[in-house]
Amino acid sequence: MAAFAATAGGLLRLRAAGSEGQWRRLRGAGLLRGLLQPESATGVAAQRRRVAHFTFQPDPEPREYGQTQKMNLFQAITSALDNSLAKDPTAVIFGEDVAFGGVFRCTVGLRDKYGKDRVFNTPLCEQGIVGFGIGIAVTGATAIAEIQFADYIFPAFDQIVNEAAKYRYRSGDLFNCGSLTIRAPWGCVGHGALYHSQSPEAFFAHCPGIKVVVPRSPFQAKGLLLSCIEDKNPCIFFEPKILYRAAVEQVPVEPYNVPLSQAEVIQEGSDVTLVAWGTQVHVIREVAAMAQEKLGVSCEVIDLRTILPWDVDTVCKSVIKTGRLLISHEAPLTGGFASEISSTVQRRCPECV
Amino acid sequence: MGSSCPRPPGPKALRLRLGCPLLCLLQKQLPRRQEQQHFPSLDDKPQFPGASAEFIDKLEFIQPNVISGIPVYRVMDRQGQIINPSEDPHLPQEKVLKFYRSMTLLNTMDRILYESQRQGRISFYMTNYGEEGTHVGSAAALDNTDLVFGQYREAGVLMYRDYPLELFMAQCYGNVSDLGKGRQMPVHYGCRERHFVTISSPLATQIPQAVGAAYAAKRANANRVVICYFGEGAASEGDAHAGFNFAATLECPIIFFCRNNGYAISTPTSEQYRGDGIAARGPGYGIMSIRVDGNDVFAVYNATKEARRRAVAENQPFLIEAMTYRIGHHSTSDDSSAYRSVDEVNYWDKQDHPISRLRHYLQSRGWWDDEQEKAWRKQSRKKVMEAFEQAERKPKPSPSLLFSDVYQEMPAQLRKQQEALARHLQTYGEHYPLDHFEK
Repeated sequence: MAAFAATAGGLLRLRAAGSEGQWRRLRGAGLLRGLLQPESATGVAAQRRRVAHFTFQPDPEPREYGQTQKMNLFQAITSALDNSLAKDPTAVIFGEDVAFGGVFRCTVGLRDKYGKDRVFNTPLCEQGIVGFGIGIAVTGATAIAEIQFADYIFPAFDQIVNEAAKYRYRSGDLFNCGSLTIRAPWGCVGHGALYHSQSPEAFFAHCPGIKVVVPRSPFQAKGLLLSCIEDKNPCIFFEPKILYRAAVEQVPVEPYNVPLSQAEVIQEGSDVTLVAWGTQVHVIREVAAMAQEKLGVSCEVIDLRTILPWDVDTVCKSVIKTGRLLISHEAPLTGGFASEISSTVQRRCPECV
Repeated sequence: MGSSCPRPPGPKALRLRLGCPLLCLLQKQLPRRQEQQHFPSLDDKPQFPGASAEFIDKLEFIQPNVISGIPVYRVMDRQGQIINPSEDPHLPQEKVLKFYRSMTLLNTMDRILYESQRQGRISFYMTNYGEEGTHVGSAAALDNTDLVFGQYREAGVLMYRDYPLELFMAQCYGNVSDLGKGRQMPVHYGCRERHFVTISSPLATQIPQAVGAAYAAKRANANRVVICYFGEGAASEGDAHAGFNFAATLECPIIFFCRNNGYAISTPTSEQYRGDGIAARGPGYGIMSIRVDGNDVFAVYNATKEARRRAVAENQPFLIEAMTYRIGHHSTSDDSSAYRSVDEVNYWDKQDHPISRLRHYLQSRGWWDDEQEKAWRKQSRKKVMEAFEQAERKPKPSPSLLFSDVYQEMPAQLRKQQEALARHLQTYGEHYPLDHFEK
């Protein structure tokens, strides 16, 4: 009986300790701790693993695209893919494990709905996945390739940089692979370590001929992904994996487009321009709030959205106004995309920085 | 029943131990194969999902067979005589003459363009000497709309598809008539109209791409095959492995055509692979494979024809390894006397050349003679020289074309760079050979 009471007490304490409001799924472990340790010790053992360094900020419900539905990021992706396969009979989705729904559930239900010739697994080979996708696109059909983690995109680097990006140019526009889109989970997730956390956008930014896009939210992701799929150039779409479940907002059910190569000023300000993309946009939003509160500094926050070709005008216009620029990204500092932005801004508006 | 090895408990045994209700629960969790299995017999087959095979209780490594490898299919002997009449494709005279004219016109063009590089008129060239049979035999067996992905030594395929000399030259000179807008090195041909995808320098990258194109053709019910050419050296690339595996698992109507010509620049096949060439790899992927005499244009034709028919009908890949010999240097940047003997090269040039073998065939049929040969040589040389002189005189494309087609639409940053170049040329144009370029 005493053991049971201690267990119940342990459970209650654990529930109270959940600070971010997420239901703690380690009920079994809590039970064990309750049984093995006296109550006083349970307080220390109850420390949760905090994975998120930010809080996702949903955008207001969009009104102009019709009926919306509550979706998280991976559901928004599924919705975009569903819309694409519905209206484009040539569109196919392929990669490792996409048939059963994908390791992040982005393709759940699509194989049943559209058939095994349209949603299918490939062998475990990234250079093959991208090369195969290029070939489909060369015939004019729409190819949506999935790379399981952006960390594993490097075997396909040759196909992306030497082939996909240059297909139109080198053939004098006789051939192209514009109907190719490559999707990959991107960015830190807390426990991913070296090989499930990378942000390789800077490697691809150096490659004219492709587009590189990173959404910050489910609404942005669906619209940007649809734009990538419809874009007549090969696109790489990086999906912040930490947001797959954590980001939830109202997303239109019907297809819609968010334009590529257009940065979005998501908060206006006058003292400093803050630029970020993907997950870091939410961190920067919190930074802006803290700066306002603690330092009285008014921040203008820009979500870059497209890394290549990037919206130089919007960023420069903002910096001309504020006179200061701060760029923040998860990727390594040296040679990171912030260096491209800062050097371009310094070149374009030298008097104002 | 007399077996001394304990077998896993069948459904009956489980029922006895665990009782009926639990069994229902467990049966749901048992792998489906066990539910369908009948355990009573002594049948002791391996059940692994990964392979379908028998057990063996003797330790034995499989010896790779490279001494007597996959045999080389041929129709003609080295003197151009049909060996087995039932393998003669009995092609009409006009068609076989087209084979011959394509191969010899290619040979003539090669000689003249190689020379033009030596004279500094074009920057670079690669000849096709000795491999004309592989190009023409295979191209002739395809439909004109079958998509071709090549490596760089398949100009005969384009020649067979009547790609005009003017356009071959335009690409090598990089002049205004080049469909590729003068952007690539010579011999990187491409032609949308003739379904020949533009060549790129990186090796083997075309292989998985060809597979994707074949998959799309299958989905479109196009009744088209895709053919993918590559050399035995490129077959060592990871992209080749990727392409073979994808083609087999995704059931694509594709012909993989490997030109095994003995060398990858200076690297002989003994340093390129240790197994029985490329054909032997096919079965490892589950691919129908054949090795043919690449210098026998009818053998190449027959194999490609049958492969095409079956690839489209059965939606599966075929691998043809055409054995041949690279008589010329790798390119104008290579001097192959550094790594092989002149005697070796002469043997192939004189004793086993696809053009001579076909000529002997034609002559023995009475479809060609020395007079026609002389006239054709003169005529083909004249055609090539005319195209060559015309190509020399044309200007190069406008420098503004440096920036277009990077994307379908020109992004702002590239437009700025294009404008910056224009301004630069306005001020410093005298330092550039602008007279040779269109405005």
